[in-house]
Amino acid sequence: MNGASAAPLVRLSGLGRHYREGDVRRTVFTGLDLELVRGECVVLFGRSGSGKTTLLNLVSGIDRPDAGRVEIDGICLTALDEEGRTLFRRGHIGFVHQFFNLLPTLTVFENLMLPLELNDRADAAGRQRATELLAEVGLADRHDSFPDRLSGGEQQRVAVARALVHDPLLLLADEPTGNLDVETGARVLALLKQLAAAAGHTLLVATHSREATMIADRVLVFDDGRLCEDGTRTAE
Amino acid sequence: MSALLHRSGRRHLARHPWLLALALLGITLGVAVVTAIDLASESARRAFTLGAETLTGRASHHVVAGPGGIDERLYATLRLAGHRGLVPVVEGYLQLPGQTLQLLGIDPLVEGPVGRPGGSGAGLLPLLTDPGALLLGRTTAEQHGLTPGEGFSGIAGGRVHSLRLAGWLEAADPVQARALDGLAVADIATAQELLGRQGRLSRIDVILPTTGRAAGLVRLAAALPADVRLESAGSDAVFMTEVTAAFTLNLTALSLLALLVGAFLVYNTMTFAVLQRLPQLAILRTLGVTRREIFRLVSVEALLIGAVGTVAGLLLGLVLGHGLVGLVARTFDDLYFTLTVSGLFLTPWSLAKGLLLGIGATWLAALAPALAAARVAPGALQRRSVLEAMARRLAWIAALLGLALLLVAAVLPALTDSLAAGFAALFALLLGAALLAPIAVRGLAWALHGLPLGRAGVVPRLAVSSLVATLSRTGVATAALTVAVAAAIGIGLMIDSFRLTVDRWLGQRLQADVYVSAPGALDGTLSNPLPEALLGRLAALAGVHATSSYRGATVASPSGPVNLAVVDLTRAGRAGHVLIDGDSLAVWTAFETGAVLLSEPFAHLRRLVVGDRLRLETPAGTRMFPVAGIYADFVGGSGRVLMARATWLHHWQDPAISSIGLYAVPGADVDALVTAARMAVDANVPVTVRSNRALREASLEVFDRTFRITDVLRLLALGVAFAGIFGACLMLQEERARELGMLRALGLLPGQLRALVALQTLLLGLAAGLLALPLGVALAELLTTVINRRAFGWTLALDVTAGPLLGGLLLAVGAALFAGLLAGRRAGMPPAAALRGE
Repeated sequence: MNGASAAPLVRLSGLGRHYREGDVRRTVFTGLDLELVRGECVVLFGRSGSGKTTLLNLVSGIDRPDAGRVEIDGICLTALDEEGRTLFRRGHIGFVHQFFNLLPTLTVFENLMLPLELNDRADAAGRQRATELLAEVGLADRHDSFPDRLSGGEQQRVAVARALVHDPLLLLADEPTGNLDVETGARVLALLKQLAAAAGHTLLVATHSREATMIADRVLVFDDGRLCEDGTRTAE
Repeated sequence: MSALLHRSGRRHLARHPWLLALALLGITLGVAVVTAIDLASESARRAFTLGAETLTGRASHHVVAGPGGIDERLYATLRLAGHRGLVPVVEGYLQLPGQTLQLLGIDPLVEGPVGRPGGSGAGLLPLLTDPGALLLGRTTAEQHGLTPGEGFSGIAGGRVHSLRLAGWLEAADPVQARALDGLAVADIATAQELLGRQGRLSRIDVILPTTGRAAGLVRLAAALPADVRLESAGSDAVFMTEVTAAFTLNLTALSLLALLVGAFLVYNTMTFAVLQRLPQLAILRTLGVTRREIFRLVSVEALLIGAVGTVAGLLLGLVLGHGLVGLVARTFDDLYFTLTVSGLFLTPWSLAKGLLLGIGATWLAALAPALAAARVAPGALQRRSVLEAMARRLAWIAALLGLALLLVAAVLPALTDSLAAGFAALFALLLGAALLAPIAVRGLAWALHGLPLGRAGVVPRLAVSSLVATLSRTGVATAALTVAVAAAIGIGLMIDSFRLTVDRWLGQRLQADVYVSAPGALDGTLSNPLPEALLGRLAALAGVHATSSYRGATVASPSGPVNLAVVDLTRAGRAGHVLIDGDSLAVWTAFETGAVLLSEPFAHLRRLVVGDRLRLETPAGTRMFPVAGIYADFVGGSGRVLMARATWLHHWQDPAISSIGLYAVPGADVDALVTAARMAVDANVPVTVRSNRALREASLEVFDRTFRITDVLRLLALGVAFAGIFGACLMLQEERARELGMLRALGLLPGQLRALVALQTLLLGLAAGLLALPLGVALAELLTTVINRRAFGWTLALDVTAGPLLGGLLLAVGAALFAGLLAGRRAGMPPAAALRGE
């Protein structure tokens, strides 16, 4: 646990979620418990469709569980209404997606500034931070480019910078390398880990890529709706 | 809220200029039509009021008499009896080339209704000394190229007169100048001579100081003979407002229809804008933008579009209003009274109404898309298939709601007689049908799926399947198109039905073969009646089987002026009056013994039914006339009262005749009869001799002229509809640019892609066109049988003619195809560029 303090930042208890597809009720997981401590980097490993994205959506407050509680930094997300969860996400969570999800109508720099603006921090210090982060991800020269002018790897680096720019408590990454080649993916993961660790952010990465587990302090394997520690990684 | 969010929205619209342009076009056209109609109607109303005020001046009351006016000796008698503040007036009409002016005869030595006429030129003296001297408004004089002292010709009282411009009427301000533009002022004696009313006054204006006015009026009223009475000066304006209220409401409703279509275009555009941005909105939601903020974001964008479109619409409305004011004035002229409108009266309220309507309609139209945007789930939860599945479910809900609205539209007119309920039904019908559009698209696609498309190749199959697969977009587009096309079809069918009804009515009414009329025979301003002896001479002509006579007169009643049609009808002439209410056997017996028949619009306007009594002012005072029946009639918007000639003579003792109908013996040469009738008339008497056919053509010409404003509205609705169809189809293809790029990448040839795009838009246009057919007919049914009946009291039969239906279908298909061909240009774009998308 590189620099992680012992106090749990994220606490999931008895979490359950199912979907209805026509007349069929499909359980994604049930009775799921998990704790993440501050500054920890946890990789959630599992095959496609195992429920990783669903779990990230519940942790971020995008989705609501059918059972159980989600607590982040002592705040029970499941008790908040939709607007409360959105505002919590705005202030305390950074998200990196598989498909980058940059806003095509904003420039690279504007994409970075958006979380700061939403949090009323688009002042000189905020601009300075966005500029620095852009330099840290190696894209200082693409300040005014629109996303469709960047390569996949570049877009994902912007997405990483955007997820970090407002200093969130928790950084979530959903298949961050799923849309990149192995080499670029590895570079993006290293960058993600480096920046999150430097800022002391807790990082939860969902992936089906074995290579991605290399950055983890702890690896959790998601299989058939159950979560278990990956002995090979935790033993390290 | 974040400035970046707004910037993002603005850039999105800037990247889709067609989307923006069409949204702006929709609202601009809608607001322009509403504003133009409002300004034109308001200008006509203001012109009337201003004209009435100018003619009335400071007069609080008028002394008036029956249709023949007041004997001028009464004025002298009253003055000699010590009555002060009396101004004699002779009123009539003077025709100059292309313009009808109100001719006002005044005493230049007395301060009259228009003040002391001043101006350049020879001044007032020639008015007294020169029999043909007139004063005209400066603009009117300049329009006719006249300078003071110059001679010109004009028609008054049915004859051509040599006139001379004595000078200009000088106005105190620009507003008064406009009123003076429709005016010609002459000395009383000149006006009497011109109008053929020697020795008669139209009225005497009463201008009394406030102090002691009441007592003065009482004294004056007591001094008047029985056939002369004192009236309040404001009653004309009140009556005008009452009789034209329905007409202006109808125009307003039709213009609101254009705005509704415009709002649909905005709804369509904003829905497309939201659909296009679903992934971006989902990203924003992931980043922590709340639903409320998304709703506000989309609403603000819509309001900005609405504001820009509305301002453009107001400006276009001003231009359009200038063009329409003449048409509205002409309709007022043909339906109600002579009106000269020289320009547009701009009122802040008219502009404010346009502003509020435009922005309000945009906001309402954008409400549903904004709510849909706010419901977008964050991040990966938003899937296209989920959205389309939701659209398919919503299509059923919308269809149920649509059916409920259609039920409201069907039931509402039966529940209440109000015009407002009629319009509410109209709008419920449109909205209901629009809500049924998505399910209709599914139905069409299902029907097309049943066709053996397998052999037709991949393009038709793709075109059909994409109709349903993209229901979230095709449904909305079809709804917008359906409303736009149906509005155009509905108005077109209404005009055609009206014209056919009037044509049939003329066929029934005009039973005589030849008509001999005095000038002004129809409008009650009879100046030179036909000589009584002429009736006998014409009846004696070879080939004449029978004659009928007609006299048009305007008499006073407690509820305003009443147009009388005094007739001496033959059996055939009676048959030409189609009874709507009243016992057909008893009606004519009662009619010959003193009862009257009311035209349908008259009965509607005055809320009279068979069995009621109509109060009319006769020379012997107020008399009651039993109402024996109500008949179909399309002359004038305020209607008229049919009275037997014997009844008229009994009460008014005025034997003048306005026109005579000659019934030819079977097989007689009508043209020869026309010539013979012309020969029988004294060459000095101004009369018009016309065959039945010529009169019918002339009447239809008047009809066409009267309803040109409605025709213009139909054309405007067609324009908005075209823009709507074109825009919706284009947006649909814009939105699918990426998909098209993918098809190109998969190996579809540019020609195949072009065919695919054209086929898809064609199917959409066809769906909208087919759905618009029954809706257009239903709309026309409501307009003709409910709205017109309630607004004007005209019972019309709906004639479903092929023209508007085919026109609507062609419009839908043509505009869709045009948009498809234009959008098909993308086929030439390299697949990589299209795939790059945003």
